[in-house]
Amino acid sequence: MRVPSTVSVTENLNAPVGLAAVEHLRAVFGDRILHEQLTCDEIPTLWFARESIQQALTLVREQTFAGQRFEMLLDLTAIDERVRVNRAGQPASEFTVVYHLMSFSGNADLRFKVPLFDDDLHLPTATFLWPNANWYEREVWDMFGIRFDGHPNLYRLVLPPTWEGHALRKEHPARATEMEPFTLDDAQTDIEQEALKFKPEEWGMKRASEDSEFMFLNLGPNHPSVHGAFRIAVQLDGEILVDAVPDIGYHHRGAEKMGERQSWHTFIPYTDRIDYLGGVMNNLPYVMAVEKMAGIEVPERVKVIRVMLSEMFRICSHLLFYGTFAQDVGQLSPIFYMFVERERIFNIIESICGARMHPGWFRIGGVAQDLPQGWEVRIRELLDFMPARLDEYDSMVLNNGILKRRTQGVGAYTTQDAFDWGVTGAGLRATGYEWDMRKQRPYSGYENFEFDIPIAANGDCYDRCAVRVEEMRQSLRIIKQCVDNMPSGDYKSSHPLTTPPRKEKSMQDIETLINHFLSVSWGPVIPPNEVSMSIEATKGINSYYLISDGNTASYRTRIRTPSFAHLQMIPAISRGFMVSDLIAIIASIDFVMADVDR
Amino acid sequence: MNWSLESAETAAAPQRGGSEMDEFIRRNVMMVKLEDMVAWGRKNSIWPFNFGLSCCYVEMATAFTSRHDLARFGAEVIRGTPRQADMIVIAGTVFRKMAPVVKQLYDQLLEPKWVISMGSCANSGGMYDIYSVVQGVDKFLPVDVYVSGCPPRPEALLQGLLLLQESIGNQRRPLSWVINEQGIIQREENEVQRVIRGPERIAATELRSPDEV
Repeated sequence: MRVPSTVSVTENLNAPVGLAAVEHLRAVFGDRILHEQLTCDEIPTLWFARESIQQALTLVREQTFAGQRFEMLLDLTAIDERVRVNRAGQPASEFTVVYHLMSFSGNADLRFKVPLFDDDLHLPTATFLWPNANWYEREVWDMFGIRFDGHPNLYRLVLPPTWEGHALRKEHPARATEMEPFTLDDAQTDIEQEALKFKPEEWGMKRASEDSEFMFLNLGPNHPSVHGAFRIAVQLDGEILVDAVPDIGYHHRGAEKMGERQSWHTFIPYTDRIDYLGGVMNNLPYVMAVEKMAGIEVPERVKVIRVMLSEMFRICSHLLFYGTFAQDVGQLSPIFYMFVERERIFNIIESICGARMHPGWFRIGGVAQDLPQGWEVRIRELLDFMPARLDEYDSMVLNNGILKRRTQGVGAYTTQDAFDWGVTGAGLRATGYEWDMRKQRPYSGYENFEFDIPIAANGDCYDRCAVRVEEMRQSLRIIKQCVDNMPSGDYKSSHPLTTPPRKEKSMQDIETLINHFLSVSWGPVIPPNEVSMSIEATKGINSYYLISDGNTASYRTRIRTPSFAHLQMIPAISRGFMVSDLIAIIASIDFVMADVDR
Repeated sequence: MNWSLESAETAAAPQRGGSEMDEFIRRNVMMVKLEDMVAWGRKNSIWPFNFGLSCCYVEMATAFTSRHDLARFGAEVIRGTPRQADMIVIAGTVFRKMAPVVKQLYDQLLEPKWVISMGSCANSGGMYDIYSVVQGVDKFLPVDVYVSGCPPRPEALLQGLLLLQESIGNQRRPLSWVINEQGIIQREENEVQRVIRGPERIAATELRSPDEV
């Protein structure tokens, strides 16, 4: 571990590709850029009218800037602006559609916004530019009722087809207890089941080809190998997969709506349950985003504690992936071995955080409490114990001939495919492209650690697994550096917006006591701003886009999760394979449904 | 039903006459009512349905693996289809979109069937009082045991299973087709665990400090 450097993370606006793109857009569009918004994440944010957004997106998609491209549509979402107070300088808008583009080659971001009004909610689709826009646009339609002209199948994505209203509009009730009590009699069950029925014609699928009749197989939403409440309808010609339609929304817990209701502080436990295998790593992008808006700098000790726990959860998550991956292609034993390490790690997590899967232990401006005495003993045991076990698993799983034959050359895609579909994380690195947020845009002090970014070459199921296995070894390396070099100091910042605030000062005089009381009861008031914060989560880029309207709760919480993008890609990479290969492909993606539907 | 096992090596061979024969019979022959025997068998051969909704399923799966090993309690034969199972653990959040599916799966379980509601979401909606979540699976399914926690530890699920087994063991069912309305002989209303264990929990005065491992 090197001495902490004072050089901050590359600022996006100053990245050559970002600057060049903005300058080029200014030259082409002139007045048609309605506004250039400043946000505290310093991502260039340009407002376009509905009439010019398609041209702007096409230009950014096809042109190079300073020799680099914006390869990926990282996120596409919307904001209901109707009750927002602090919008100084922004164009009038009731609903704003937001495009978040990302340049991997130039390491920069770009954000476009389009203002819309409630009586005329539509804009052109971007599906012909980026295939992954498909689901994002369906989600926006589902949640806000904004139509995308030219979208091939603009059906609801997340909520049931029988749903009325659009959940993320401000007038839609948030609580189940505000709505009619839920009942489910036999007649209602039939109606719902009928609505969920897969109709191939809706998806432009034929029921027969010239020489054979297709079979439609419904896999899920409860099937042991779909890893949760996920459904995929497949079109089969014999055993060959012709096409597939994933159906999601069976795990939608309304986390984004929840973010508008919970205080900044009390939303933290909800983030744990987004990627429910990632534990406290989910807290990280959220608290860092809030800290950025609040202007909080956290002590070095906090950064290292956060990194250490996040990496432990990365190992935990990868172990579960590793075991279930082997299980899905036919090996029953490995998972029983791998859960031993998971239990060891959970023991450590529990002794530090007090809970196993969802500790919710990070805080705005710090962590919940200091490390307990003797915390490093069990971690050192793990560091001694685990490498040999990982080697054993290599011979048990990765070197197993059957597993190789089942997964090599199956479900392969190129780096370009990955960009087109918004694939990040191990799925991108398996194609041979070295990109990891921890290296490219170090956060929470990752720049001080020595570790490698494993990559593979073929981008198939086997490579995705191999990359994750190597990542576990790198995580162990990072954890070792944390244990060896844990800085002393505070576990909490002294900034006034740190939540819960420091108690010492509250006992001094009435003013600090009042502030302490308000901060604990109502929670902190975060100054109005917008921020997007991304991390390299267990499954890829997890990003929180928060809008504060100067209140005790977020005005809009957008959670960009990696699994959402990855699932959308399944049909594209599984056509022409057999049903049993589809199982291997699903297993190799490593998703959890909470990370898809949120 | 009380019985004990003895290792084959140490058990004495039966002898003619005397009390040893009585002892042998006592050890090897069980005199019970058939319905007690059936209840005992049912209690110790629950076949769970492989079903999970969200985070709780991971802890449920952990209960099946080596460290916790649910097999010790005779309930490890997980079935992939509800038509071969008689117990479902509602492990996770029950979503509005998923509810009709859960209902159908429950309807397909074999009679007699039992439901364990695992975790706060399935118990009551828990921390998700939100438009897309059913506020407790008992809104449309009868629940036998509620396991609390978010997610519950694997040990908590094991305890829930033991409570269910105890309750099944106390149930008596008619052993043949009956004409009158005999039906299931209802067990007594179980006392809430909070009441049973409350005094013991309150009695704890020394809790482990969070400052030490």
